[in-house]
Amino acid sequence: MSLGTAIAQALLLVLGAPLVRGTIALLKARLQRRRGASIWRPYADLFKLFRKEELVPPTSSFIFRAAPAVLFAATVCAAAFIPVLRPSALLAARGDFFLLIYLLALARFFLSLGALDGGSAFGGMGASREALVSSLAEAPLLLGLAAVAILARRADLAGMVAWTLGQNVFDISAVHILAFTALAMVTLAETGRMPVDNPTTHLELTMIHEGMVLEYSGPSLALVEWAAAVKLHLMLALLIALFCPWGMAVGNAGWGIAPAALLYILKLGILMGVVSVIESAVAKLRMYLVPDFLGVASAVSALAVIFTVLVKR
Amino acid sequence: MGLVGIAGGKVLSSFSVFLFLTILLLAVARRISTSVLLFSLQSAVITAEVLATAIQEKLAEAWVVGLLVLVIKVVAIPRAFFVLARRLKTVRDVKASTTPTQSVFIAALMIYLSYAAVHSYGQAMHVPDDALAAAVALILTGAFLMVSRTKAIMQMLGLLVLENGIFLAALITTFGMPLVIEIGIFFDILMGLLLMGIFTFRISDTFDHLDAAKLRRLRG
Repeated sequence: MSLGTAIAQALLLVLGAPLVRGTIALLKARLQRRRGASIWRPYADLFKLFRKEELVPPTSSFIFRAAPAVLFAATVCAAAFIPVLRPSALLAARGDFFLLIYLLALARFFLSLGALDGGSAFGGMGASREALVSSLAEAPLLLGLAAVAILARRADLAGMVAWTLGQNVFDISAVHILAFTALAMVTLAETGRMPVDNPTTHLELTMIHEGMVLEYSGPSLALVEWAAAVKLHLMLALLIALFCPWGMAVGNAGWGIAPAALLYILKLGILMGVVSVIESAVAKLRMYLVPDFLGVASAVSALAVIFTVLVKR
Repeated sequence: MGLVGIAGGKVLSSFSVFLFLTILLLAVARRISTSVLLFSLQSAVITAEVLATAIQEKLAEAWVVGLLVLVIKVVAIPRAFFVLARRLKTVRDVKASTTPTQSVFIAALMIYLSYAAVHSYGQAMHVPDDALAAAVALILTGAFLMVSRTKAIMQMLGLLVLENGIFLAALITTFGMPLVIEIGIFFDILMGLLLMGIFTFRISDTFDHLDAAKLRRLRG
């Protein structure tokens, strides 16, 4: 039973990811009074790309071909750590939140390597920018998760979520609000959303993620895009699991899963709505202002860790 | 009582986090309009705390004070700032002498300092630690904003943030001052705002800018 739900959770995160992307795109379009594409569009895109021929730059080495596979594998592996419907996950017993962070770092590293190996100027530029953003975003991500881990006195995500589930909604502490703020800012930066990167443009001098994937085509591009969607879904699910897990199915009874899934979809919908409002309302930051944005996230997450000492237990 | 009472108590103890957030955001805000909106938001949080005190301690006067805060600090003063900024035709940038990253780390340090400062006092007086620390942190950041922002209009805003801190400290330690004094303070703020508004008009008329850092060159 529990293995079944664990696999179902991981599959939900991976297979539902393009739907999350499509829904955010549709919400954005509606907010901007456009008609927007169907929410199933990303699946059609992936399907189309998987059947297309792959073109590889003549200067590239095997790393260019291997990078999308490593990226996708590492991201899916990270997704298997996230509790979604119950406070447990497929790989929950095999690693703590550090492993999650470094699986994501591994994915980013190989994406940057692949972009550099592609040999185009845009790829190199995107990779260097990605390196800047991710090195600055790693500290707040680590500290934000560490703050919650210190409160829960557990280092594995499932244990942290189970601890939060045991708390009263009203007893949510300063640490949680600060850590949530930091992680939400990191989520926007890590997944290449609006104030840091524009996910909808190609060939703009300020782009980060789209610059890196410019040389990819066919199945490789499909894997890269899918991995990016999984990462977005994973970060949103992580926010929900850590800071608003109430409603998750506890115990072994099977009937708790359905309301848990409905509640999860509701919470995810609210988060997607917030993301699309932010994307429609905020202008993209200049590249030199991105370190300031992440500096704020760092300060907030450092405060969250400091507050763990001050919060009475 | 019941749920409302519980919610009121929680507002008192946990809303200070939102004050910390407004402090950190004020430290990074680049535009005058953003800063003014943040000040309005901060006053709204303080209004919620006043109303929570009113529910918890069953003080009728606190409702009046809460209404005054809402009308004056959440609505009237920000409106006045927007009118002032439009009339002065000033640029939107706040002209900070520290970079946003430096500012936010300084603000975080101040929040930590204020916790360290009020810790023993809060335990002795049986007042919520968080709220008292938020009050001290507001006073410190208000002063910091006044020192680090060179534009006259932002220095006014810093003073108002500082005043918010003093108001909150009074609310936390003594459940607010007597109503007459409270009304007097609000009147003082309005008069001060009026005077400072006239001053900024004079500065911009005479020197064609609002940058207080440049005023020293014209001495003597």
